[in-house]
Amino acid sequence: MVSTVQNSDVRQKDVDHAVVVAVTSRALFESDTEEDGDGAYAAGVAFPLLQALQRVNEQLLQRNPAESLLFDVVLMTTDSQQQQSSRFMSSTRHHGLEVTRFCFSSEEDFIESLLKNNIQLFLTTDENEVLQATQKGVPSVLLDEHSAVCSSEQLRVLFCENAIIRPSSDPTPASRQAAQSFSSQLGKMRQKFGMFDSPLCFTLVTLRGGKDSCCGALKALRSIGVSVDEAYCLAGAPRSPILSLLRPHFLLSDGFSNLDD
Amino acid sequence: MVKMSLDPVQVMSGKVKELKVSPSSNGDARGSWEEKEEFEQNQLSSKPKPVTGRRARKVEGAVFFPKPENAVTIAVSSRVLFRTEREQKVFEQKGVEEYLRYQIEHENEPFAPGPAFPFVKALETVNTRLRELYPQSEQLFDIVLVTYNHAHVGIRLINTINHHNLFIERFCMTGGSSPIGYLKAWHTNLYLSADAEKVREALAEGIAAATMFMPEKLTEVSESQLRVAFDGDAVLFSDESERIFKAHGLDKFFEHERENEDTLLDHGPLKGFLEALGKLQKKFYAKGQRLDCPIRTYLVTARSAASSGIRALKTLRAWGLEIDEALFLAGAPKGPMLEKIRPHIYFDDQMFHVEGAAEMGTIAAHVPYGVAQKCNTNQKTNMGK
Repeated sequence: MVSTVQNSDVRQKDVDHAVVVAVTSRALFESDTEEDGDGAYAAGVAFPLLQALQRVNEQLLQRNPAESLLFDVVLMTTDSQQQQSSRFMSSTRHHGLEVTRFCFSSEEDFIESLLKNNIQLFLTTDENEVLQATQKGVPSVLLDEHSAVCSSEQLRVLFCENAIIRPSSDPTPASRQAAQSFSSQLGKMRQKFGMFDSPLCFTLVTLRGGKDSCCGALKALRSIGVSVDEAYCLAGAPRSPILSLLRPHFLLSDGFSNLDD
Repeated sequence: MVKMSLDPVQVMSGKVKELKVSPSSNGDARGSWEEKEEFEQNQLSSKPKPVTGRRARKVEGAVFFPKPENAVTIAVSSRVLFRTEREQKVFEQKGVEEYLRYQIEHENEPFAPGPAFPFVKALETVNTRLRELYPQSEQLFDIVLVTYNHAHVGIRLINTINHHNLFIERFCMTGGSSPIGYLKAWHTNLYLSADAEKVREALAEGIAAATMFMPEKLTEVSESQLRVAFDGDAVLFSDESERIFKAHGLDKFFEHERENEDTLLDHGPLKGFLEALGKLQKKFYAKGQRLDCPIRTYLVTARSAASSGIRALKTLRAWGLEIDEALFLAGAPKGPMLEKIRPHIYFDDQMFHVEGAAEMGTIAAHVPYGVAQKCNTNQKTNMGK
């Protein structure tokens, strides 16, 4: 059973042009703790990411009040008890979060809910949900405690080759396509800002290949409309010192050129 | 090189947690990705590479990409490796958007060599010799291009590196943020930049650094031997003696040096770099190549041999550092001496000497450290940034 409730406090986005991002209730809120004793949940690990998305929207609208290429954030939950549902909604309002819709479903139906709502990026703290969603072609990000310490002022997206992460499943053509079009959308958003003080920042990291791999990646990203701001070519150097400085909100790995050795 | 596959958006998972918790080395056997990396690195060095024309550097079985902590890492900014004056003007006069547009438009036009270019070429020559003698060793020069340019300039920089046949495979383009954190992450032994502010920041973090300028004319330098020249006070040594000289004059300076002849001078910002050069030199000596060593170091100091120079030499000896030639000028101008030596780089803390050297075609780098900086703030240099 899948149902959607609109958040009347927040202006609805033009779903045909917006980039729809879904975040689970467990990622957004700490369901175990209460805040201020007034029944609202405390902030979860996804908070900084959401605030960064909101900031991008604010800045886009500042430049063009009629902008339709915005992030459209929806909250998804499979915790379908009635009391919980209303607490999610009131907690959202309490924190002033720009969530346009609440999507309720059972655990079995949540994929259906993702697809029905045309989700282009799915944020969750549940590894299984990531696996399932990815297999169905929905770009997904697993958040954890590191997400909680990322910037809330600037959305930092890292483009990186796949080797950094254990591939959990073979990419389907549909998921590749979805990831690429998501990246292109981000690229379009980035173009609306200048070089400095952009609320959106793209970084490329190549881990193993030398400068020619990096060059290929820069060109490939450019061809899908993504101009990166920062680029690091590690050529085999240890990655963690660099990555811990970069603090990306999430990583994307797609659309790179294939440079065989 | 790894084939990068078209994969959908991947997860920022517990793997990232591991990345951040074990920053120091590949040795930690936590998590499969780290083991995988080590395994692949070993693969990289043992896999024989075909020797093709232009890339003849790839010696069979030799180490290609050393670990930063094992190598002598030289971080060079794009503005000193190449000549980018025209582009700088566009940036200053028309702003960053126009600057980046210009760069992209001229992407296939390589930049001309800048002041650090001969130095970097010489480093590569040393590497070639080191690889011949020690094919499995990671004790090499590792050159990293560290620039706070936006990655839009990346393709032009890479094209330029290829055009000049430089062996630079690692870089950081920070898109405007400070490169200092990255310098530390790369275990940088020396940072060369056109920006005095960034150089000062690096020095404050304990990283040897210097500002480079383009000399009006460039004298030819050796293509087979790396020559590095250092000033003494406030470069290899601390600025304590200079303080005495500036506050109390030459006589007091001599008196102080005489009285303290057996007290070691404190170390200066470039002592570590001299040490790193010394370690590499010893590798050549160990193979009987002392006379033919492709690294040569010089001390060019205003101290005089008979008096104040003794303290300098004793200090170097106590540090276990050898310097190939020590030139005590007793206050004479450094330009002519440097012109004879023709170093690939000369480090001095005083702009007066840097400019003097450059006038005679020596590639000089300013180390903005110590008491001399406060006195020289009025001196305007029109040598550009």
